[in-house]
Amino acid sequence: MSREVQIAKTVLWSMLTVALLGVTALFVIDRADRSRQTLPVIDPVPAFQFTERNGEPFGLDDFAGKISLVDFIFTNCQGPCPVMGANMAMLYRFYEHSPSVQFVSISVDPARDSLNVLQAYARSLGVDDNRWKFLNGPLPAVKILSEDGFHLAADQLPMGHSTRFVLVDQKAQIRAYYDGNDLIDFDKLHEDIRNLAGEKPAPVTRNDY
Amino acid sequence: MRGFRKLALITTGVTYFLIFIGGLVRVAGAGMGCPDWPKCFGRWIPPTSIDQLPHGLDPTTFNFTLAWIEYFNRLAGVLTGLLILSMAIYSIVKLREHKKLLWPTNAALVLVAFQGWQGGQVVALNLKPIVVSMHLVLALIIVSLLIYVSYYATQQMDENVGIKRAMPAKAKMWIVLTYGLGILTILLGTQLRSALEVIRDNFTAMSESNWLASVGMIKHIHMTLGLITAGLGAHLGAKVMKRAVNPTSLVLKSAIGLMGLMTLQIVIGVVMLVWNMPALMQLFHLWIASIFVGLVLILYLADTNWGEVSNES
Repeated sequence: MSREVQIAKTVLWSMLTVALLGVTALFVIDRADRSRQTLPVIDPVPAFQFTERNGEPFGLDDFAGKISLVDFIFTNCQGPCPVMGANMAMLYRFYEHSPSVQFVSISVDPARDSLNVLQAYARSLGVDDNRWKFLNGPLPAVKILSEDGFHLAADQLPMGHSTRFVLVDQKAQIRAYYDGNDLIDFDKLHEDIRNLAGEKPAPVTRNDY
Repeated sequence: MRGFRKLALITTGVTYFLIFIGGLVRVAGAGMGCPDWPKCFGRWIPPTSIDQLPHGLDPTTFNFTLAWIEYFNRLAGVLTGLLILSMAIYSIVKLREHKKLLWPTNAALVLVAFQGWQGGQVVALNLKPIVVSMHLVLALIIVSLLIYVSYYATQQMDENVGIKRAMPAKAKMWIVLTYGLGILTILLGTQLRSALEVIRDNFTAMSESNWLASVGMIKHIHMTLGLITAGLGAHLGAKVMKRAVNPTSLVLKSAIGLMGLMTLQIVIGVVMLVWNMPALMQLFHLWIASIFVGLVLILYLADTNWGEVSNES
């Protein structure tokens, strides 16, 4: 084999290798970028001030710096609420080592769900710390917060509350919705929470590190 | 010797592949894909779903894709380490007389073990820029040692591997200078990228082209040094082609490769400036630079070899 042919062969093989590496790398980079896609900002949470089961006030400011999963429930609910409660409780346990994640359940039956009732309800779900908030506020304000703030149906409360979970970011902005009942997509939820956690220092478009 | 040479060549190739993967980890932003070391999320094989996360770990840190990219880098690192280890064993058992093979091989073994540990520091220090850069420089030193060993192993079998006519002694000095400038430029390039990351994280409202505009002096230094190094490299290649009488195909390939890669490198540099640094271009920019270092070394060795062969004979 002549030297020219030899060199041409080397060049050809190098180009093939580079092309193969390039395509693979492109695929990997694309997958990595997709894996940390940012969620759209849907809306800011409006100001409100309710009371947590421990008697302390809880309002808009308490979303700051936390990733929050919010739902609307009532303790006496027989319909979809037990499933919602069980799903939320599962997530609550799952994120027990994630201090940046909190859970917020707002009662749509404030007259019946006194702070003591909420406290007992929390215990029945196995809540033993402050990562899961149970809020009591005036019914009209709850209805406004649900309908106008979180864009969730709230007809004929308490029965007509939404069964969706709302993901709220560290800047109190609504970022995503999930079915809180049997249809819940845990994988998507986990992925979204992780992506929000990655946004913490500042929202970046790619290459979080 | 034939077996050792083959092993050395394969190891060199695998190490270059590893450098590519390391660069891929960086541009994919997967450096903290595994927040712990040497295990990944407390497991020897990273979790494939979030349900497999060991108890006690914060699930918000888990990203399946990034974990596996980083894990693949570690796997390739272990493979390289094992290859160098087998080279070292081979050299101790069979090649004790060949000091030019024995010492660099075992130095590479020590360095690759250190590199593994240092990779853990990269993670432990949360991708501190200078630590990431050292990880790359160490890789370049290791691959240089492997090329050195591969070259001398080849020479043991075929004395005619080098240039048939020596270049002036001054040329040798120029080659060393080109090699050093190459490593320095690479180091500055990694620092430039870190500087861009700092800007990106602190001024999120800026667009990507603005990052590049506001990064300051380091960009100009890297570009200037890069152009000088590329020019020196291409010039070296041209000089060898012109001066060498009956050059061997290794020398010819290295010289042609040097000229081709330096042209490509400048094209990629311009593409990055114009199209806001696409990740794939960054990766090849770095990888070509590391191959450049290897080719310059080959030309240096090929030259010295000629002198030695003539002295001995």
